[in-house]
Amino acid sequence: MITAERKPLEEIINCVKPFERILLVGCNECVTVCAAGGRKEVGIVSSALQMAFLKQGKNLQIKEHTLERQCDPEYVEELSTMITGVDAVVSMACGCGVQEVARRFKTVPVFPAVNTKFMGASERQGIWAERCQGCGDCLLGVTGGICPIARCSKQLLNGPCGGSGSGKCEISPDVDCAWHLIWERLKALGLQDRYEQIIPAKDWRTGRGGGPRKIIREDLAE
Amino acid sequence: MNFQKQLESKQFIVLAEMNTPKGIDVSRFVMDIRQLKDRVDAVVVPDLDNGVMRMNALAGGVLAKRQGLETLIHVYCRDRNRMALQADLLAAHALGLHNLIVAPAQEISQCDHRDAAVVNDLNETGLLETIGTLQNGKDLAGFDLEGRPEFTVGCLMTPWSDKASFEEEIKLTQKKISLGASYVVTPPVFDTGRFAQQLAVLQTLNVPIVATVFLIKSVAVARYIAANEPGAYISEDLIRRIRKAQDREIECLKIAGETVSRLRDMTQAVLIQTMGWEHRLPALLDAAGL
Ligand code: SF4
Ligand code: SF4
Repeated sequence: MITAERKPLEEIINCVKPFERILLVGCNECVTVCAAGGRKEVGIVSSALQMAFLKQGKNLQIKEHTLERQCDPEYVEELSTMITGVDAVVSMACGCGVQEVARRFKTVPVFPAVNTKFMGASERQGIWAERCQGCGDCLLGVTGGICPIARCSKQLLNGPCGGSGSGKCEISPDVDCAWHLIWERLKALGLQDRYEQIIPAKDWRTGRGGGPRKIIREDLAE
Repeated sequence: MNFQKQLESKQFIVLAEMNTPKGIDVSRFVMDIRQLKDRVDAVVVPDLDNGVMRMNALAGGVLAKRQGLETLIHVYCRDRNRMALQADLLAAHALGLHNLIVAPAQEISQCDHRDAAVVNDLNETGLLETIGTLQNGKDLAGFDLEGRPEFTVGCLMTPWSDKASFEEEIKLTQKKISLGASYVVTPPVFDTGRFAQQLAVLQTLNVPIVATVFLIKSVAVARYIAANEPGAYISEDLIRRIRKAQDREIECLKIAGETVSRLRDMTQAVLIQTMGWEHRLPALLDAAGL
């Protein structure tokens, strides 16, 4: 999933300062799961903003709404009835959701209320970790299901480096060495010979190398 | 005379672009430069120009300088992060290369190594700021430098296709000037009449203008540019002139030479790009009456 963290309240306050009426929009998908921008967080930010402005003697009108999926035009359309009379939208979805709202409503400013972080998974309650950088040509089949691009600090395709010690990466004792994990896993799978193979220099064309990416499915495209 | 002094002297400056080899045989590169001695004021060495992996501008610049010519080199952001860029700038200065052109870079999908990872840690404005920071004796992390480099820095304008993109380019160039660019290199000028109309606006930038003269080498190239660069204004007359010429090669050199001599009365400097025909530069300069 895509992970995000709420921006500092101060920053959100600064964005909405010039406005009287805002629409605060959450998303029911990834940002709900990582507790950054779902219905609950929309409520929390809404109250916090209202309180902050009341202290300054200003009555900020906030409409709250949480969409099923903010990166999907079909759901974003729901906002069209709510947006009349609104000076600005504050989106609590990831960057994709913010942009989808901005694309649909050309004349209303849209501000992000979260910082979109990475594609990751929940390691345990309250902890999310990076797992994939969307390189567009997945290597997990040869690296035992552990991604060296997202999880090795140096993005080594043939590791580990000299900094690997006791299974940890040289950058911090809190970071697992991806190549240690890869080796252990290949061993457990009886696939040690995979490790002998040299992974060639990566073709980054499938990643961000070739400019903004798009998927076109002829069979589905209208 | 160094390039900074040339700019200050207000004399007409002729620059010639020299591309480094793809490989290690520099004999032609060096020979082409040698024959320009006393014929141009400085040479410009682009860095991996047009997205072609080749010997870098740092080495090319040093080789050019060794031939006794004042030298300008390109610096760009696509392939190096801020650490590498700063390191190269320090190296350039130590090796006697004090003239820089901050250049845009080709998008990686148009380069000859399309599978390469892209860096773009800084962009052109960020690089200009970086050069300014180094000149103040610090690096981007705030650490003191041993000795302060001094560069003469210019920027490149990218081709505009209409009034709106010209205005945008002017605005961006103003930003670059505010960040330390002290001269501006224009896109290739093919139609000096049209260029004259834009010159009034360019002059409001208040820095020396270096007009680029691109040597068209064939009818095909002329047609290609005419079709793909709407802002270039390559007329049918010009294409016909090349097509009808007895010796097309000479005609092409003449056309570029004439453009140079016309620009002489309009801008402080010209940069001649011959893209592989560097050996014909003396003939082009003859045609320009230089
Ligand atoms: S190899 Fe590429 S696609 Fe696969 S997990 Fe890593 S970054 Fe993601
Ligand atoms: S210690 Fe492991 S994870 Fe860290 S950089 Fe080296 S190989 Fe990569």
